[in-house]
Amino acid sequence: MKHNYLQASAKYFWIAKITMRSNLAYFGEIGSRFIFLAIILYIFMCLWRVTYTDTGATYLGDFTFAQMLWYLAITESIILSTPDVSQKVDEDVRKGTLSIHLIKPLSYPLYFLSMTFGERIVRFTMNMCVGACVVYFFVGPIGLSLKGILLFSLAIPLAFILDFLTYFTIGLAAFWLEDTRGLRIIYSRIVMVLGGMLIPIELFPDFVQPIIKVLPFSQIVYGPAKLFVNPSSQFLFTLLLQQFIWVCLLTLFMQYIYKLALERVHANGG
Amino acid sequence: MHNVVHLDNLNKVFKLKTGSFFKRSEREIQAVSNISLDIPKGQSIAFIGPNGAGKSTTIKMLTGILHPSSGQASVLGLTPWKQRDKLAYKIGVVFGQRSQLWYHLPPGDTFELLAQIYNLKKNDYQKRRDMLIERFGLSSFLDIPVRRLSLGQRMRAEVAASLLHAPEIVFLDEPTIGLDVIARQELRDLIRQWNQEEGLTVFLTSHDAGDIENVARRVIVINHGQIVLDDKVSQMRRQYLASKVLAVKFHEPPLSPAISGISILKSSQYTLKLEVDTNIIPIEQVVNEVLKLGPVADITIENPPLEKVIAHIYAQGNKLAPDRNDNET
Repeated sequence: MKHNYLQASAKYFWIAKITMRSNLAYFGEIGSRFIFLAIILYIFMCLWRVTYTDTGATYLGDFTFAQMLWYLAITESIILSTPDVSQKVDEDVRKGTLSIHLIKPLSYPLYFLSMTFGERIVRFTMNMCVGACVVYFFVGPIGLSLKGILLFSLAIPLAFILDFLTYFTIGLAAFWLEDTRGLRIIYSRIVMVLGGMLIPIELFPDFVQPIIKVLPFSQIVYGPAKLFVNPSSQFLFTLLLQQFIWVCLLTLFMQYIYKLALERVHANGG
Repeated sequence: MHNVVHLDNLNKVFKLKTGSFFKRSEREIQAVSNISLDIPKGQSIAFIGPNGAGKSTTIKMLTGILHPSSGQASVLGLTPWKQRDKLAYKIGVVFGQRSQLWYHLPPGDTFELLAQIYNLKKNDYQKRRDMLIERFGLSSFLDIPVRRLSLGQRMRAEVAASLLHAPEIVFLDEPTIGLDVIARQELRDLIRQWNQEEGLTVFLTSHDAGDIENVARRVIVINHGQIVLDDKVSQMRRQYLASKVLAVKFHEPPLSPAISGISILKSSQYTLKLEVDTNIIPIEQVVNEVLKLGPVADITIENPPLEKVIAHIYAQGNKLAPDRNDNET
């Protein structure tokens, strides 16, 4: 039995690996994202500089100007590395290509999860490198520690899984909805706003902060980015716990939807 | 002989909801009705029928994606819809219109991934891969990303990929669609060779008469969810359409023929093309009569093209089962 698990995980490891290779083949597209990322960071640097100068504050919601820009570099890198899981699942459902996957000895959700990791590892790492260079050039370093990077890398996998679970489930909605684009856009905008991509949660009104921090969106974007800028084992522990609970809940929900979807495939052929 | 596929009264009814929200009515469509079928190991069959006849539905049930409404099926001793995961290791599937190769990567990379997906042992995989590369002539483009391959090269790699885990049966769904004449012939030869030399059971669907003739020994025609013909390809051609085409060239302009049971397909100054209904008149008699029409330079007797035979069978099937698809409930 143990051997079987080993073999099974080897499959998914290879899928992640081959996705990484496939993503490296798209260098042109990745390059154009770099330019976009650099421009965004430049614009936000100008905006935040004005804000910090006008208020005369050194700290805005626990962040110095430099930290704020590093925070932005991380959140933008996370958001810009989002794979198009929803579109692909939606397409598989509509075009009937789902059946090709079902014929293989593979789990369809795990196949997509592996691809998500493969893609995100490449894109996120590259975004981070570019983001770090740009921010370093504009505002210089912040006190980066090995601990910060370690805590950050512990928080990021669950963040990616959370994001994946939602996108995958939205893709499956194609079984019932004419178009899943609406859901996709709504979700991605919620992640941007409530996830704290542009503004850290600390700058939200006081009464909504606790609610937003408990929701999964902030655990995808704000949580890891905050850890990178301001490492704290206590914060990591809370974050991991919350992420873990949400991963469990969303996995159950996704599996339920997937089960309904499979019943439909078995009855109608997809 | 050991049967690889055994179908016993397989039925599939789709429920289709129509109408607006308040006036919902459910309509049942019988996509496959009472199909019984045995395929012995190593046979190559062509499973053909017009669009919407129930071909894909049957393939989906055989591969375990679709659950039947009633009936039994066994593929390699397994019930597909109950043991899909187990079955997946033993069957190969190629869809002509849907690629399983990774678009931005060379075929070799997909092969390695497939080796992992099918849990192949390293040595077995390497041996098998090298053999496939050699037999399918893949070595010249194994390292080139799939997006830069020609369709012919891609389909060769596609079929090779489906054979990597040494399946016992392979389902080929329109594998030659879109290929040019040479690529098409190459692929047919490869599939036929693999069937004859390796004893691979081949289940082919195609709309191309050439695929059926060159690859399959047995042909099963399905229409309106029912099997309307199950015979050897050669028999089908001979028996189903009792007609021959006679083309004659003369040295001098011939007399006009007055023979019952023939129709003139084409006639010019020195040539004559006749279709002979051998139920009415035997072909020898027609030849004798034709020789009397003038000095003959050349004479050929041809079977009607398979496409015509198939069209004829489809048309008959339509007459046999009118409106079977519209049973309102």
